[in-house]
Amino acid sequence: MQFAINGLMSGAIYALIAVGIVSVYKATKVVNFAHGYLIMFGAYFYFTFAVIVPNQPWAPEWLASWNPEWMVEMREGLPMFSPMGAILDWAANVPRILLGLAGALVCNAIVGRIIERVLMRPLMGQSVFAMIMVTVGLISIMSGSAQLIWTADAANVPYIAPNTPIRFELFGSMIFLFGTDLVNMIIALVLFAAIVAFVRFTKGGIAIRATAEDQSTAYSMGISVPKVFSRAWVLASTTGAIAGAILATRNGISPSLGLFGFSVLAIVLMGGLDSYVGVFIAAMTVGVLEAMTQWKMGGNWAEIVPYVAVLVVLIWRPHGLLGQKEVERI
Amino acid sequence: MINANLKSSYAADERVLDNRYKQGFVYGSILLLALFTLFGSDYAILIGSQMGILLIAVVGINVLTGYTGLVSLGHGAFVAIGAYAVTIFNNVATGIIPAGIMPFLSLPFAVFLAAAVGVLVGLPSLRVKGLYLAVATLAANFIVIFLIEEELFAPWTGGMVGLTTNAPNFFGWVLDTKREMFGLIAVLGVLALLAAQNLMRTRVGRAFIAIRDRDYSAEILGISLLRYKLTSFAISAAYCGLAGALFAYFYARILPEQFELALSLQLVAALIVGGLGRTMGPVFGVIVIVLVPELIKITFGAVTGDAAGMAQLRAPLQEIAFGALLVLFLLKEPLGINQIVDRILRAANRWPFARG
Amino acid sequence: MTLSRRSFLATSAAATAVMGTPMILRAQPKEYVVASSLPLTGPFATAGQLVSPAMKMFEALVNEDGGIGGVPIRTVIEDSGYVPATALANYQRALATEPNMVLYYGDSTGFMKLVAPELKGKNATLMGSTSFASDLANPAENPYQYLPGPSYEDQVDILLQNIKNAGGTNVAFIFSNTEFGRDPIEHGRKKAEKLGLEVVLEETTKAQGADIPTHVTKLAQSGAEHCILQGYVTGVWPQLIGGARQFGLPTQFYGTFWGMEKLIADRVTAEAGPFLDGYSGVMPYRYSYDAEEAPIYQRYAAFQKSAFAGTPLENYMPTWGLQSLISMNLGVEALRRVAGKGEELTAERAAEELAGITDYDTGGFFGGPVSMKNNKIGTGRVYTYEAASGLFQPTSDWFTVE
Repeated sequence: MQFAINGLMSGAIYALIAVGIVSVYKATKVVNFAHGYLIMFGAYFYFTFAVIVPNQPWAPEWLASWNPEWMVEMREGLPMFSPMGAILDWAANVPRILLGLAGALVCNAIVGRIIERVLMRPLMGQSVFAMIMVTVGLISIMSGSAQLIWTADAANVPYIAPNTPIRFELFGSMIFLFGTDLVNMIIALVLFAAIVAFVRFTKGGIAIRATAEDQSTAYSMGISVPKVFSRAWVLASTTGAIAGAILATRNGISPSLGLFGFSVLAIVLMGGLDSYVGVFIAAMTVGVLEAMTQWKMGGNWAEIVPYVAVLVVLIWRPHGLLGQKEVERI
Repeated sequence: MINANLKSSYAADERVLDNRYKQGFVYGSILLLALFTLFGSDYAILIGSQMGILLIAVVGINVLTGYTGLVSLGHGAFVAIGAYAVTIFNNVATGIIPAGIMPFLSLPFAVFLAAAVGVLVGLPSLRVKGLYLAVATLAANFIVIFLIEEELFAPWTGGMVGLTTNAPNFFGWVLDTKREMFGLIAVLGVLALLAAQNLMRTRVGRAFIAIRDRDYSAEILGISLLRYKLTSFAISAAYCGLAGALFAYFYARILPEQFELALSLQLVAALIVGGLGRTMGPVFGVIVIVLVPELIKITFGAVTGDAAGMAQLRAPLQEIAFGALLVLFLLKEPLGINQIVDRILRAANRWPFARG
Repeated sequence: MTLSRRSFLATSAAATAVMGTPMILRAQPKEYVVASSLPLTGPFATAGQLVSPAMKMFEALVNEDGGIGGVPIRTVIEDSGYVPATALANYQRALATEPNMVLYYGDSTGFMKLVAPELKGKNATLMGSTSFASDLANPAENPYQYLPGPSYEDQVDILLQNIKNAGGTNVAFIFSNTEFGRDPIEHGRKKAEKLGLEVVLEETTKAQGADIPTHVTKLAQSGAEHCILQGYVTGVWPQLIGGARQFGLPTQFYGTFWGMEKLIADRVTAEAGPFLDGYSGVMPYRYSYDAEEAPIYQRYAAFQKSAFAGTPLENYMPTWGLQSLISMNLGVEALRRVAGKGEELTAERAAEELAGITDYDTGGFFGGPVSMKNNKIGTGRVYTYEAASGLFQPTSDWFTVE
């Protein structure tokens, strides 16, 4: 039971990452192999604005650690690691967490736009192979630049939400949860739902869907296709920034975050490239399967779960669980 | 090239090297390679061997991706299978088979096993294409490496700690220096290239090209997709298996992590930079992919001296250069260096008349 | 005359040998080269970047003392990215371009194992490394590689003994999914059984970016009183301990050499609170602030103060740097002994002299004079972290394992 819940929580994060890949694919027909590295950039930006900037000598003190009178008073007499203490620790970090998230969002949106303008737009109408390989090249460029900019220094970042342990009983077994994981899951699910709603109901979303349906028709109906493209990339990179910040708090920050992208890619294909619902199901399934494997067979087996799952699904349904079958004309 | 192309018989038209330029080029290259084997510096031999091993694998990818049009991001797995197969075969069969003829059995075994696994991995290619196939092969790569690392098979594969390999022994001649190994790699590399060139003038090769251009049309023409797609996977996996076997011979020990995704991507990148679907493409590509990091290393060392603080910038720069090369070629010259070379040769050939 | 390909090869190789090598060997070389691969990038970059200045310090101090037999040394540092194959390429490149290389310093268990079978004949070099992998201390198969301290298995032995002495009944192993992480686990399992400790959990994690909540949950369910962490450097272990503490787990955590760095512990404490208080582990050496009885530490400190002002190394030498320094000091000592006898500095001779080092005063790295036994030095003691002072304090005596 415990592991099923752990699995659902990581599944939610997978879904949040996957939504970026699906959105870009829907709008531009490019499958972004480098999405994991976009997430890594988000994590590093979060680190920059939540840890490096507040610790600079020129940054105001309340940014690094916000300690008003009433908080100091409350803190006195609290035992270490008490739930209240955790909330207070978090409250002291609120300013830099907000700065970190904002910084990550803005910077990642800029990175996403740059990638779209410089690399992706010239590729419009090229073969699948060419665009896969461009994003593969992007992987090296991004991981190399990350190492240049931040050096490969794994560091701690503040949790997004208070990290109180939560314990409760469910169907007769004790369950432990971290408060921050629960909040992360909620953030991920809300964002996922928001993006699906955006694509389904708003004007911009409809433009994205129209472009996905038929580029030239969308053009002739007065939709600015380049704008749709850049909007999709910005959407992907901002959700990536949030996912990166979450992953950074969960797993620590390091260049290996980029590798998440590959397992998420497998999940996306498993669910069907253009189906949010399918991807959501796949993400949750893989999350739970992974946690179960971790439990029963140990850590190294868990790493290949997404890949085995995608192979099985692809052989059974070549276009993923709920993917649309492409009609090929000769 | 227009001149030297007059054919007076069908036999002449069917030759592997169908004009005198090509013949001259091939014989000249073989001579240069022989001289290099004898007189190249240790360092050059080292780099040359790395190139040779990579080249054979890239020729394999070229058969699959360049000629048949199937994308694979998992060929590192076949290199791994070749490397492990040749070593494990040797370890198991020591004592049963005389050492002097071992390579004549273990090499074909490695190549055959890689081809067999290639067919297995190729099976999804019948149902999925393009992107889905890329991810399916990528998944296969992860799984193969995982199985090699798995403790269950550790008595044979050595698990994560890898496996000590052995030097090949041809009738008592043990190739235990890098120079001797380079000789073997060079011979097999040239043979691999010629075999690939030959393949493309056969029925099988033409079927591959038909499938690449439009698979359904090819099927309508009577080409069995099942048969030829799997053949293509088998051939390319066999090349990679050969490269893996040489890899195992060249290095004294192999580790599973050497065959991970990074290798698969490097192989495909080399092919793209060199030129897809051209015989010489892999050669140009491998030279660039191996030499550029070395050049960066050398110039970087010369510019910064021994400053320890700078050394940590080098690896990221090499990585960026690798990605930038790939992206630049895809955007600016999708047909690779081969195309550039063709253009130069054509201009030289027609000079001083019209260029292009 | 027919010249077969083989005899031609042999002749020309011989000719190259006659023309090239003897000139280098006969004349006293201008300098000796000590080359190294360090993880300046990649998962363990923090460690590599802190160790590389120590290499420069080592070069300066050895040359101050007259180099090796009067010949100065030069250090070469290359980046491995913690990829064994890259380190191997570095080594092969150094072999091909640096004919006077007498000592090599490698950077990972993987590399040391990868290179071991290559160390034959003229490809051999005396080789120290950052790794304490148990397999490397095997002079019969592998005379050129050595450990400057106890192997990971020895370290785990010490920890298990310590747990037993403290009245523990069970233990959990959490280790990274690398060779480095797996190295002592099997041995540890057996040892625990021998001591009557129940192994309640063996959990592998990723070396970087591990899924902390899941691992902590498993630890909580196992009910382990003691937990040994192995195979981490800068990341994962602090997060694991932090997660466990937030969970309210009372488990006592232990680390081996690479998880015992004060800089990391201090940084984690500054960022996330004093939860590492009470964390213990094995350390073969004195920490650099414990310089009273260590003359060599005082010398280093003086050098660091002037050469590394303004960097983290100004007032403190990380344990990783100390390990590299003692490792290369031992190598240079062996080479000096060869040179002192007026012989050529071959790898064989150096390895023989190294194996013969007994009751050697390292200048204070260890608690007392040490001996090379099976190409390792099985000495160490247990330290415990005090979050208030930010120091690892000794909580056991020096002892030597076999």
